[in-house]
Amino acid sequence: MSDARKKYLLSLFSSILMALVIGAVIMAVSGHNPLEGYAVLITGAFGSERSIGNTLYKTAQLCITGIATAVASQGGIFNVGGEGQMYLGAIASCWLGAALNGTSPWLAIPLCLLAAILAGALYAWIPAILKIKLNISEVITTILMNSIAIYFCTYLANGPLKTTEKGIVSGTASLDRAFRFSRLIKGSNLTQTVFMIAVVTLLVWYLMSRTTTGFGMKLTGENSRFARYAGLNAGMLGILGMLISGAMCGMLGMFECFGLQTRFKTDFSNEFYFDGMLVAMIMQYRPLGIILMSFFFGALKIGAVSMQSQTGISSELILIIQSVIIFFMAAQEGLLASLGRHSSARRANRMRGGVKS
Amino acid sequence: MSQEVTPVVSMRHITMQFPGVLANDDVSLDIRKGEIFALVGENGAGKSTLMNILYGMYTPTDGEVLVRGERLFRFDPNEAIRHGIGMVHQHFMLVPSFTVAQNIVLNTEPRRGLFYDFRRANQIVEELVQEYGLAVRPTDTVRDISVGLQQRVEILKALYRGADILILDEPTAVLTPQETDELFDVIRSIVRIRQMTVIIITHKLNEVMAISDRVGVMRQGKLIGVCQTCDVNERILASMMVGKDVLMEPFIREKTKATEPALVVENLSVLDNRGLPAVRGLSLKVFPGEILGIAGIEGNGQSELAEAVTGMRHVQSGQIRILNRDVTGMDPAQIRALGVSHVPEDRIQTGLSGKSDIVDNLVVGREKEPQFSIRGFHLKKKRMKEYAEELSANFDIRGGGIHTPTQSLSGGNMQKVLVAREFSSGSRVMIISQPSRGVDVGAMDFIHRQIMEKRSEGCAILLISADLDELYRLSDRLCTIYEGSITGEFDPSVTEKREVGLYMTGRGEEAGHE
Ligand SMILES: Nc1ncnc2c1ncn2[C@@H]1O[C@H](COP(=O)(O)OP(=O)(O)OP(=O)(O)O)[C@@H](O)[C@H]1O
Ligand SMILES: [Mg+2]
Repeated sequence: MSDARKKYLLSLFSSILMALVIGAVIMAVSGHNPLEGYAVLITGAFGSERSIGNTLYKTAQLCITGIATAVASQGGIFNVGGEGQMYLGAIASCWLGAALNGTSPWLAIPLCLLAAILAGALYAWIPAILKIKLNISEVITTILMNSIAIYFCTYLANGPLKTTEKGIVSGTASLDRAFRFSRLIKGSNLTQTVFMIAVVTLLVWYLMSRTTTGFGMKLTGENSRFARYAGLNAGMLGILGMLISGAMCGMLGMFECFGLQTRFKTDFSNEFYFDGMLVAMIMQYRPLGIILMSFFFGALKIGAVSMQSQTGISSELILIIQSVIIFFMAAQEGLLASLGRHSSARRANRMRGGVKS
Repeated sequence: MSQEVTPVVSMRHITMQFPGVLANDDVSLDIRKGEIFALVGENGAGKSTLMNILYGMYTPTDGEVLVRGERLFRFDPNEAIRHGIGMVHQHFMLVPSFTVAQNIVLNTEPRRGLFYDFRRANQIVEELVQEYGLAVRPTDTVRDISVGLQQRVEILKALYRGADILILDEPTAVLTPQETDELFDVIRSIVRIRQMTVIIITHKLNEVMAISDRVGVMRQGKLIGVCQTCDVNERILASMMVGKDVLMEPFIREKTKATEPALVVENLSVLDNRGLPAVRGLSLKVFPGEILGIAGIEGNGQSELAEAVTGMRHVQSGQIRILNRDVTGMDPAQIRALGVSHVPEDRIQTGLSGKSDIVDNLVVGREKEPQFSIRGFHLKKKRMKEYAEELSANFDIRGGGIHTPTQSLSGGNMQKVLVAREFSSGSRVMIISQPSRGVDVGAMDFIHRQIMEKRSEGCAILLISADLDELYRLSDRLCTIYEGSITGEFDPSVTEKREVGLYMTGRGEEAGHE
């Protein structure tokens, strides 16, 4: 393992530890027993089949959105617009799904998946092309396009695409039972989609780290002038990262609706994308790190719900813990520099067998 | 001993350990007040690191620094500046979008109330220019001025902050001979008149002889000797540095017999970054097995010429043909695919990706070849590593192994990575700009041999260099460029350098009258 990697892991673990300690202090200050709090949190996340299912599903969700952020940023574009891409993927697939109600799922599901992927990718293509051709900041465009997408979908779900079923005020028509992804563990959120998510995550990871495409994307993201000079198609590689990212988000939108929701509802996402984006940023867009961290954050999120209901400790505590980790990771550079200075000083002293004066 | 005056700088037992690289190994060095001290050594010997420690950029792993007998407790540039130390780095550290004046007063801006007082800033710079005779225009934007001028800005910045110990890290690497002479005049005058102390790092040994009082030689992190400059000569210094003689023999050559040019530029016009004409109706031809040298003072269109030929810059009008194909308007990828390689002058922004390691920087552009990937898709990481090891050994790339990000290599080793990549791709036409900028004598000789080898393989080579000696050593034909046009063509074996120098400055007629 390289020195830099070691230091990075060191600072990651110390950040997590610090965050958990600070979380404990807050619990104690607010009159709770931190040990009890964490114990409940852990049982909340892993205590039953149902909770394990929920934790796994949350992990999968964070993974796919985290990797989606990472793949775009590898090509040099910061995709803040995953939420919007997810909404469009969801509405496109649900609309098509409802239209295909009654046909064979072997026909309908692949078509709906295609629709979701296309919608997400297309919506990501717009900010990407604006960035590459006109150098317009993708951060601004993607944030704005999130709102546009969400309002647009809300309009559709309450207007032209609104279901005619009785008693339902908003949302598209229910999908055929045969189209829905079933739950793997009863009562939990874990649906069959978890396999698809795992496969896609691994495929994109492979693409990013082991292929000529990922290689080109990485160099483009680091220095696009250099990439162009070296004969890479820098513009295309940057856009490709965004297309993949958008496609992944669109796909997740479909999975949410075809799995848990059974149709498009305007509140199907609770800003899922941003949670994953955060994980990706903390892990510096490294795929393996994102997968591991997703598991940690997934467990925290699910565990926190039980913690709140059983001990009264607010689940907002999780936000604090996340923020502290982010804070320390952001301060990493400085922390590492000081750590490095001490350790290399020690090493040199050992080498000459002396004591620091 | 106690009678002797305290040295103005005293570095004692400095050791600097980077991950995997011992950059300075127990170096002790005293600098006397009012002297010009030259520091020389191979690429990666640790010169920049040692001076960065003095300037407070790095905290050494061990050792101490005393300035005028006072020990530095903190290694921090602000602390160093307070002690009167100024440094001009090998790779400049200016803000490109700021004006000259803004850059010079940065961090100590004159204010009027809460606001930056730009009129006062410009005035300060005017005064500095008067005082030190280093002409710059305060209101120019740094991005738009030549490297030679940028360097003046760096020097003025250090002087403005009250430096009286000035460190210059390879200041002449980017200068023309004339600019170098001017710089040396300034150095001599600030030392003589203002009693300043100057430490200068350079790879050009004739400059060491010309300007320094004493010279220190570094090798593999150690300071292996300090001499009075008058006691040594270039050959002694070269062999101290490299550990063996570097001969720089002239090359024996035969003229190419090719009749069909590999590179043809016709009536080319190109704009610079500001949208002003940089290349004006320029034409040239390069034949296989031939080196055409372009001599000119920086900023006369040679950068834009190289960029246009390699597809990096838009062609305004005219035509470029490579191996009988019209490549005008093609992008760099298409031009490379025809068998063109390109050593750009700007290795930091263009020639390398600093965050990526040596492996990726060496393989890029060839990753789809069967040897590096299966079906042009699945990377053969192991083969990439082997390849990087091979090239690192062949081109003597040193510093921390193949997984080092290129941005933490020494300047000369960065250049070697770039040269190694461009010289290994089996190209038939090469555009080479400033190939030995920042490399040591040994490496320069090596790179020159590589270029000659390419020539004998039948490569057509367009060589652009600010170093007239280099052009003379390598070129079959030499063209001078002035204000974007070719002003003359010479056979270097029969033409005096002085005459070429006149054509480079647009005073060709004067040569005719003599
Ligand atoms: N920030 C850094 N991190 C890791 N290694 C470094 C760093 N800076 C320098 N090094 C290593 O330390 C060694 C000495 O580098 P330094 O830049 O001092 O060489 P130099 O003598 O100035 O060479 P050059 O003539 O090529 O500029 C090199 O092997 C380099 O790779
Ligand atoms: Mg250096």
